[in-house]
Amino acid sequence: MKKATVRTLVKRPVAGPVDLPARQGRIHPVVIYPFRNPEDYSNLEQLYRLVARLDAEPCKYARPITVVDRKTHASMVGNAVYHAFRTGTVAVHSDILDAWCVDTCQMWYSGLGLAYEKGGPGDVCWLIPGDFNYGSSTGQEVLSRLHDLPEIILELNQDVCIGEIATDHGNSKQLIDTYGTFALLYNWFPSEAQEIRQYTERPRSEFFAIRHEFLGEVLRQRWFAYEQTVVTLLSAVFADKRISRFFVGHISDLLEGRESLTSALQQVERTERVLKTLWRERNQSSPDWLARYRVLESQSEEIRRTALTILQNLLG
Amino acid sequence: MVPIKQLKTLRAIHFICPATQAVKVSVVGDFNAWNPSAHPLRQGPDKVWITTVELKHGHHRYAFLVDGVLTLDARAQGITRNDQNERVSLMPVS
Repeated sequence: MKKATVRTLVKRPVAGPVDLPARQGRIHPVVIYPFRNPEDYSNLEQLYRLVARLDAEPCKYARPITVVDRKTHASMVGNAVYHAFRTGTVAVHSDILDAWCVDTCQMWYSGLGLAYEKGGPGDVCWLIPGDFNYGSSTGQEVLSRLHDLPEIILELNQDVCIGEIATDHGNSKQLIDTYGTFALLYNWFPSEAQEIRQYTERPRSEFFAIRHEFLGEVLRQRWFAYEQTVVTLLSAVFADKRISRFFVGHISDLLEGRESLTSALQQVERTERVLKTLWRERNQSSPDWLARYRVLESQSEEIRRTALTILQNLLG
Repeated sequence: MVPIKQLKTLRAIHFICPATQAVKVSVVGDFNAWNPSAHPLRQGPDKVWITTVELKHGHHRYAFLVDGVLTLDARAQGITRNDQNERVSLMPVS
């Protein structure tokens, strides 16, 4: 059962920059609170300084939403620092959406779904992950660029804008995408994968903004419990939507959020499961789908095993 | 004649294209209505092409026209689509 505090929003005319197309919509920020509550709040404090600034601009931004998993909340019972931060910062600058979620992607689904319901045509929903090192100097630089993602959609009439972060080659996310995500994508959706790679090296990026209308289409499709950015990008390519990519800077995950080998393997397996299901859904009306599926599945297994070997060698 | 108020919001942006073998390079974008002759680049002693354009605050779509071929800027901060649905480069100006 989800609870949301909904504030009455005062709709005011929105002024566009000189000579640029007039802003037709508002931006709905959706913050995903870290599943594992950090001991040090410096990263979240920086993030909520940004959220406070967004909340102070009601003409441009809708009231921000923060999604908190109930399990996170329950694990912090008796923690005075957490409760003080929640009530004194998070709740002041955003509406808290408490939800029981099986995974981060369900937090996205709940948050983006609420933003979609609050918004309307022409609006943009903007996902902001909470578990990054915003407190560092590079993290603050990233925070200063994130606002570009929804603005690009509004100003340039795009459907989805992916924020790309640069990491070193040995970063676990980079390794998973190189040897897992893209290898599997090239197997199951080769032409779409080529199109996606022309835009981004990070098809699982957690930084993105999406136009209200396209979000509505994506929300109504089957919602997987994971790898939503990959599915959204594939949906964008299938429907010939306008994809943009914007470099938001160099950033690394917080120590708590870094992938272990087990986590990396799980992410590759999940990606494969999602791609298989999506492929079947799109092809099962074809008479020869099963024969084609068996070939792809066999290749996919080889790719996954190879990825697991590489990840084991590099992360194990 | 650009109004004084607008001049204050303009920023000089350098476009650099390392197409050292090219014969003719220009930059096209929303800011010059994708006109190939509006902003030609000049070739420096190192054979790299360069020009400066004053742009206003916002996000700008552009590309290089290298010997007539629309070419993305490898140094761009982003990629987007233009009104013709072509992939082009993206530059934020703040």
